Amino acid sequence: MTGLTLKQVNKKFGEFPVIHEVDLSIDSGELVVFVGPSGCGKSTLLRLIAGLEDITSGEFWIGGQRADQLLAAARNIAMVFQSYALYPHMTVAENIGFPLKLAKLPRARIAEKVAAVGESLRLGALFDRKPGQLSGGQRQRVAIGRALARDPKVLLLDEPLSNLDAALRLEMRMELSRLHKQLAATMVYVTHDQVEAMTLADRIVIMREGKVEQVGTPLELYSRPANVFVAEFIGSPKMNVFSADLDRSGGNPVIRLSEQTALSAEGAAGSRVFAGIRPEHMTPVDDGGLRGVVTAVEHLGADTLVHFDSAFMEGGIARINGISGVRTGENIGFQVAAEQYHLFSENGNRL
Amino acid sequence: MTRRSPSQTIMIYSLALLLGAVLLAPVLWLFIMSVSSTRDLTALPLTWIPETISLENYAKLLGGGGSTVAESFLTALRNSLIVALSATAISLAVAVPAAYSFSRLPGRRRKSLLFVAIATFMMPPVAIVLPLYAMMGELGLLNTHLSLILVYCGILVPFTTWLLKSNFDGIPMDLDEAPIIDGANRLQVIWHVTLPIAKPALGAAALMAVLMAWDEFFYALLFTNDIRAKTLPVAIADFAAGRVADYGLISAAGILATIPPVALAYFLQKSLVSGLMSGSVKG
Repeated sequence: MTGLTLKQVNKKFGEFPVIHEVDLSIDSGELVVFVGPSGCGKSTLLRLIAGLEDITSGEFWIGGQRADQLLAAARNIAMVFQSYALYPHMTVAENIGFPLKLAKLPRARIAEKVAAVGESLRLGALFDRKPGQLSGGQRQRVAIGRALARDPKVLLLDEPLSNLDAALRLEMRMELSRLHKQLAATMVYVTHDQVEAMTLADRIVIMREGKVEQVGTPLELYSRPANVFVAEFIGSPKMNVFSADLDRSGGNPVIRLSEQTALSAEGAAGSRVFAGIRPEHMTPVDDGGLRGVVTAVEHLGADTLVHFDSAFMEGGIARINGISGVRTGENIGFQVAAEQYHLFSENGNRL
Repeated sequence: MTRRSPSQTIMIYSLALLLGAVLLAPVLWLFIMSVSSTRDLTALPLTWIPETISLENYAKLLGGGGSTVAESFLTALRNSLIVALSATAISLAVAVPAAYSFSRLPGRRRKSLLFVAIATFMMPPVAIVLPLYAMMGELGLLNTHLSLILVYCGILVPFTTWLLKSNFDGIPMDLDEAPIIDGANRLQVIWHVTLPIAKPALGAAALMAVLMAWDEFFYALLFTNDIRAKTLPVAIADFAAGRVADYGLISAAGILATIPPVALAYFLQKSLVSGLMSGSVKG
């Protein structure tokens, strides 16, 4: 297994830039997740790594080898497609053995390898079936098996779970996680689902409009988002972000959230900042705090989502543990610890 | 299955029977003619069911005593087989990579080339037969298998390319990229993945190509003049061109001429079954 390095990688389709100055280094054995809204370039970046698209400028290295001019076949990178892309005319065993057949391995060696992969993915009983006779989850496992068959340096996965139903998705997520630990393989995983990203990743790469917004461990991204976009993308329900005026009357700039609460916004320029609070960091209080009016209540059982309007923001959400007796129309106040505020400058970057 | 009223059922079956009768009656009549004696065929009023069944015409065609009839029929059969099969094989060998490139590779000019190819297919043979004849004469190819093979390829390549291209279009792009990732080059992609998936279309294209070459009459009539290259349609027409047309003999030749394409269709039947795509990618 090997690491990957991207240096100032750009990609244009004609005149249209889709990947902009991406610098990224992925360590050997790491599972990195590319996440972002659709059209952010995450799949294109994966295809650049796979060699299905050429990079327009920049450098791409696999381990110590410059690879941006290498053909896809020569990169020794395997990929699991969103659509599985199984070969419909081949049996499961032939599908898994196909990369080995192309590599001209002796037949006995192929059979041995296919059996080993099949066993680790619990596919043994299905070897003689064609893809048309398999369920969605089984096809997914065959696709992964085909990718693993030739011990690739890097395994790429393009939204591998998005065609599965919710229960199966959870099961396959655990399976992938187990596989990653077992193989200690370098894996790059693309998804638009931040929950998948948070649960699977060693590190997450958040992308927007062809640019990398932030790279970090799931908890880094959760607790110290680099900008408003990352703050809102990670976490569900998403972070409450509102704009607040700066008060410079006392020397250091502060924002006033209520009569009693002033929050230091050191280093802020201009006249306004953005402040963010995660819904799960808001504790209801009877008196004081940030006041608002409840507009809707969603009971999820384990917790309750309270939608509220207040002077500082409309359409806020708070998440209260357990079942809450809060009713629509009620006046409510929230306590938030000072360290749970996230402050961003006017251009959206973290202060 | 939806329920039909009895009158609907009767209607459907009777129309199906009518269609069957219309399609099969000429073939049946051809067969009856081929086993009738000349006397029965020329008798007035017409005898639909012959009094005696004789296979004499078939024996005559298939070489009863080395007659000239047998010789011209059997060489024509051989010529037809050579010409039709070679033209089909060459056309498919050209059409497969062409169709793949039209379907998969980028470029606006490539697309317009496809229209040019199809346009040549639309051209009436009469319009190009004279220059073609002059060219073949100049090249000394008149009355050879090669002349017909070349001309038929000219007709079959655009047709089979177009047929295969529309079929390749239906194969998801992922099925090109997956083998490339697995370590294949383009030719291996075509050989191991595209062609096996497109097998039904390939069978259909081969069948149509053989039929078109087998039945072609116009060029064959003009470019050949003796048994060295004459194909079956021309040879059969020759039987009718003498002073006395032997209808029984012509019919028997017609029946025999339909056997190879029908046999081919029968053997390709298996590959013509569709539904091979299922289960590969999730739609």
